[in-house]
Amino acid sequence: MHIPDGYLSPPVAGITLLLTLGVLLIAIRKISSSKEALSEKISLFTALSAGIFVAQMIAWPIPGGTSLHLIGGALIGILIGPWLGILSMALVLLVQCLIFHDGGLTAIGANILNMGVIGVLAGYMVFKIVYRATRKVWLSSFLAGWLSLALAGLMCGIELGISWSSTLPIYVMALWHTVLGLIEGLITSSVVSYIVIKSPKIVGWF
Amino acid sequence: MLSRKTLLTIFILLALSPIFGVILAEKLGYHEPLDLVAEELGLSEFEFTWTPLKDYVVPGLPDWLGYMVCGILGVLVIMFIGFIIKAMVRR
Repeated sequence: MHIPDGYLSPPVAGITLLLTLGVLLIAIRKISSSKEALSEKISLFTALSAGIFVAQMIAWPIPGGTSLHLIGGALIGILIGPWLGILSMALVLLVQCLIFHDGGLTAIGANILNMGVIGVLAGYMVFKIVYRATRKVWLSSFLAGWLSLALAGLMCGIELGISWSSTLPIYVMALWHTVLGLIEGLITSSVVSYIVIKSPKIVGWF
Repeated sequence: MLSRKTLLTIFILLALSPIFGVILAEKLGYHEPLDLVAEELGLSEFEFTWTPLKDYVVPGLPDWLGYMVCGILGVLVIMFIGFIIKAMVRR
C-alpha cells in the first residue's frame, strides 16, 4: 500500500502531508506531556517498531495476482496506545521511504496518513469499543486489525481517486483490503492474544 | 536495550524474510492491490531515486542476501533512533 512518487496529484500530496504533520505534532505533544509513561514505553516502542519493519518485509504472494503482508497499525495502537503507535508507524514508514525508496517522497504524507494515522487510530478505537462491549481480546483485536486495514486501503483509494478523477481506485483498494484485512485481523489477534497471556502488563488496560 | 527474546524473534523473522519477500515473490509474481490500480489507470512511478538500496536490493549482492542486509540495516537504524529518544527522555 506504499504509494510511490507520481501516483498522487500535487494538491492531494500537499494536503495529506499537511494533515499528517498536524497529527504528528499532536502525537508528539501528547506523549511529551507524561515523561514517566514515555520512559516506561520507549523500549517497547523501539522493539515493536523494529518488529513491524521486519514483519512488513515478509510479504506473502498469493497466486492469482496479489500479495499481502502485515501493516501492523492496529497491532501497535493496541499495544502501546494511539499516539506512540502513530509515531512508531511514522518512523517505520520514514525509514522505508528514505533508505529503501519503499513509498515515494512526495507521497510520504499520504502513506503515513493511511497506514500510520488511520491504520493506528481505527485499530485502537475499534479494539477499545469492541473490548468494552464483549471483554473478548481475540475478537476485539481481530476486528481492529481487519477494519484498520480496510479503512487504510479505502483512504488510499480515495486519495488516488481524487488525484485521477476516477472511482475505480476506491473500489479496488477498498475491496481488496477488506479481504486482505481478514488476515491482518488474524495476525493482530494472534499476536495480541499471545502477548496478553504471556505478559499482560504490556497492554495498559489489562 | 531490547531483550534477548525480542532480538531473537527479529533475527528469525529477518532470516525468513527473503523466502517470502524475494524467492516466493519472484516465483508467484509480487503484486499488490495498488499495482492493479496503477495498471488500470496507466500510472507509472517516477524514475529518479535517492538511495542505492531501492526496493531492498544491495548492489553487488544476490537479491536474497541484499534483502536480509537491508532488513538488518533498517532494524539498526530504528534501534539507534529509539536509543536517541530514550536518552532524550531520560535527560
